[in-house]
Amino acid sequence: MAPSVVRFPPRVLVFVVSAVLVVGACSSAGSPSTSGGAPAPAASQAAASGATGSAATGQVGGQVTVWTAWGGNELKAFQAVLKPFTDKTGIQVLATTVRDFSQLAINVDAGTPLPDIAGPPNPDKIPEWAQKGIMKPLEEILGADGWAAYSKDTNPALLTIGVVDGKHYLEMVKTQVKGLQWYNTKVFTGTPPKTYDELLAIKPPSGAKLTCVGLESGDASGWPGTDMLANIVMRQSGPDVYTSWYQGKQPWNSPEIKAAYQLFGKFVSEADVYGGPNTVLSTNFGRAGKPLFADPPGCMFLEQATFIPSFFLEDYPNLKPKDDFDFFPDPSINSQFDGNIEGFWDSFVAYNDTPQSRALMQYMSTAEAQQIWVDAGGTLAALKTITKYPDPIFAHAAQVAADAKNILPTAGDQMPADMQHAFWKSTLDFTNDQSQLDTILAHLDEVRAASYTTQ
Amino acid sequence: MTEVAVAESRPRAFAPAEIARSIRRLPLHLTVWVVMAIWLVPTLGLIVNSFRSVQDMGHAGWWTTLFPPHGLTLDSYERVLSTPNVATSLVNSLLITIPATVIQVTIATMAGYGFAWMKFRGRDFFFLVIVGLMVVPIQMTLIPVLRLFAATGLAGSFVAVWLAHTGYGLPFQVYLLRNAIGGLPREVFESAEIDGASHVQRFWQIAVPMSVPAIASLVIFVFIGVWNDLLVALTFMGSSPNRPLTVVITGLVTSLGGGWQFLTAAAVLQMALPLAVFLFLQRYFVRGISSGAVKG
Amino acid sequence: MDSRILTAVGAVVGIPLILGGYLYLTERLLAAASLRTQARIRPYVWVVPAVSFATIFMVLPTLNTIVLSFQDKTSTRWVGLDNYIFFFTNSETINSLKNNLLWLVFFTGFVVIGGLLIAVVFDRIRYETLAKTAVFLPLPISAVAASIIWKFMYDYQPPGQVQTGTLNAVIGTLGFSPVAWLINSTTNNPALIFVGIWTATGFAMVIISASLKAISSELLEAARLDGANELQVLRLIITPLLMPTLTVVATTMVITALKVFDIVYVLTAGAYGTDVIARQLFARLANADYGRGGAVGVVLLIAVIPLLLLNIRRFRQQEEIR
Repeated sequence: MAPSVVRFPPRVLVFVVSAVLVVGACSSAGSPSTSGGAPAPAASQAAASGATGSAATGQVGGQVTVWTAWGGNELKAFQAVLKPFTDKTGIQVLATTVRDFSQLAINVDAGTPLPDIAGPPNPDKIPEWAQKGIMKPLEEILGADGWAAYSKDTNPALLTIGVVDGKHYLEMVKTQVKGLQWYNTKVFTGTPPKTYDELLAIKPPSGAKLTCVGLESGDASGWPGTDMLANIVMRQSGPDVYTSWYQGKQPWNSPEIKAAYQLFGKFVSEADVYGGPNTVLSTNFGRAGKPLFADPPGCMFLEQATFIPSFFLEDYPNLKPKDDFDFFPDPSINSQFDGNIEGFWDSFVAYNDTPQSRALMQYMSTAEAQQIWVDAGGTLAALKTITKYPDPIFAHAAQVAADAKNILPTAGDQMPADMQHAFWKSTLDFTNDQSQLDTILAHLDEVRAASYTTQ
Repeated sequence: MTEVAVAESRPRAFAPAEIARSIRRLPLHLTVWVVMAIWLVPTLGLIVNSFRSVQDMGHAGWWTTLFPPHGLTLDSYERVLSTPNVATSLVNSLLITIPATVIQVTIATMAGYGFAWMKFRGRDFFFLVIVGLMVVPIQMTLIPVLRLFAATGLAGSFVAVWLAHTGYGLPFQVYLLRNAIGGLPREVFESAEIDGASHVQRFWQIAVPMSVPAIASLVIFVFIGVWNDLLVALTFMGSSPNRPLTVVITGLVTSLGGGWQFLTAAAVLQMALPLAVFLFLQRYFVRGISSGAVKG
Repeated sequence: MDSRILTAVGAVVGIPLILGGYLYLTERLLAAASLRTQARIRPYVWVVPAVSFATIFMVLPTLNTIVLSFQDKTSTRWVGLDNYIFFFTNSETINSLKNNLLWLVFFTGFVVIGGLLIAVVFDRIRYETLAKTAVFLPLPISAVAASIIWKFMYDYQPPGQVQTGTLNAVIGTLGFSPVAWLINSTTNNPALIFVGIWTATGFAMVIISASLKAISSELLEAARLDGANELQVLRLIITPLLMPTLTVVATTMVITALKVFDIVYVLTAGAYGTDVIARQLFARLANADYGRGGAVGVVLLIAVIPLLLLNIRRFRQQEEIR
């Protein structure tokens, strides 16, 4: 065979050398490593050469990267909202759907470039990130005028969230109201009950149950149950207990929280819920409302947030809001705690201070932008000044929000991630076997002890 | 090396011996079809559902489509294919997957040969470390690796993703290939060595050709793994405009899961290419490439 | 766009050539040394690329993880074995350990044995490619898609309603009432493990099939002519010859069972007593609790050691045989 010394034909050597040269040339000549990595330097270059005035008025050009949890129709609506912005300022918005926000934390920990704009971290990280300057304060990003307008026109309750050392970091872009009892207008024709007791006393037509509940939601299964619990706690024990509760100061096995679970238990009991606990646990929250419109109806009420109508329409595309379905807010339990409702919002945080990110943040806080959101349907605005809702359901919801004394944040969202996951799971375990309540609450307290340590 | 191909003699189809043979093999075929059915039915459900509307999917199971009214629609596919950036993301996915696969398989094959047929101090130790690393959860490695990329200026580039996939995939690949290459007959290598072939020649002319089935299966797995990956791409290419298909698909559903019906079509489209790769590489899973080598 | 394609092509063409060139150059350098020195140094040349990658991407982060596992949540204080004590005393993590054990036994067992049987049986039929494709099909399916598939398979509607889930529809026609497969504590772990088996058997089949093809068909034919039935052929010839490959597959499956995450996460989120270690790890990391997360990682490493010892024995045996 071949001689003992390796002999490659000279051709191969030529190949090797040229391959090395090719790869080397590619890496240095405008390869992705230089162009894709950090939009911020490119953007600031564009800004330096371009206009310097208020970004909302002139062509600025450049790029801004946004990480958002939105996808599907939400993303389409977002693109519609962005169109006037891009037309006016020439700034290209690069939106990526990123659901797992620990991606953001990973980049923060590793010191790699962050997207210009993204959602906020878990509440327990907010103080740390604010103080380290990772999140940029709205007072600076929006500019003096922008901030004045935003703080004046945004619902006051929303301005209490994400505040560190007097500075605000979360820009509220759109909102939802939770804790609404949805019904089929042809099935429930009476007046909305005033108290939970009245609600529970309503007799459904024969064959139907009182409520429909669906807790399944992939890795977040259980969250609709936590919303129901939150609405109970705020009405049963008041906003102060509610706040200490999600801040981790209220023990889970305290009488207030235990009472809330027990009341929640009625809504998912074999007697009162469509299909019994097994169905509750197996049904995706979006499909839980199907029996409302079935013939014969399977249940009378579904407790959900304002975003549920689009899911009704998935199964029954011909339903008309207000004509076919409507809602009333969760009734009262303890009259001294009336006027509290649970809210949910989408917010943006600026992570890089560039002219482009400023421009976009400013734009998102304007009535013009939020009106487009509202017209696209499926959401409420964050600005008080928006009152034109094409959809009668959302007009009603906006009224409910405006009339409320307090808009309290979703309790689960305000807890550390570990605690929230345990909270979600607790509703699943409880629905599965209500006799385990004490064990479940004890476990939640264990998690609470470990979770809230900011040390 | 003579190649011994399998040549099944084919007796005449309807001879009594052949019929008896078919009947005896009936349980065999039955088993095969049952297994195939168990494996196919779930995927079939997905494929059929990708042609149905979301209302239909909520009201009745996918098998009802087999009977009229069939209710088939291309809505989901239209939606997926009209998503902005879906074409470029497909190209990006290819640009990530193909180089990553090539890099990994070549390095792993070299190392497999080294661990299998060369003796050196610490060989078993190094090898066990590599195998043991297979158990390390990838999430624990993301931040240190990301820091390294940031320090070397690679963060956000294709190169970063290729290197990351290589680093995470090598343990299993080296493990598999060492086994395949190490299982080849010693005599073949020894006779080549006696004939004066260097390691490079033995590697290239004996080891690689004889382990083609193993290498082919590895290519399939690596391709699938990188093609379907979301985590590594997001972590190491996060803000880059060069998004792969998996990221764009995430954007098909709302944050609440609305629009999940489009995922059925997206999944079917996404699995088409790896499936094609699998079918294409089947030609290398043929008996005869290495059997009989000893008789040479 | 052009520069990306150029880089990609450069990598596809360049890397193998660079590696080839690397081997060539080192051979030239080694040629200067004595044969003995060459034999001593050459192996390192061959394995250095792989070992370097493994070191940078996995070894160093793992060492980092081990360090973190002895620290508190914010990685500022040393807490000794606290995180480990938590791991072994917390009821949730103990439950997940038990579940992982279930996965270890049943998942690995069914996948290895199933993969072997399928590879052997399919080897004997003419439409082998079609059959293998059917079993292979779950592999290219992403975790997201698989979750949709199995949600449809296991879907539960109340008794008396139309069943949209395949399994419940089937048992419905047989006269049984629907079962909430993922909720019911008797069925949920098996249901999840079955999804794992469904996914991984194709993987085992591909690997085993590749090795099966390397067994001389003359050997098998000779045995059959001698009167051995299929079961004997399988037991006495194929299995012993495939032992190294089966070890590889089994080891990989054990590690997969230890690390199983996607299936559990997406179908039950670890609720109803189905939780597994890797999902616990995910929860810890989502909370930025690197201390506890690190402890989980280290426990996994320790759990894999017996497996590695088994593998050493196998290698030694393989080397003696050949």
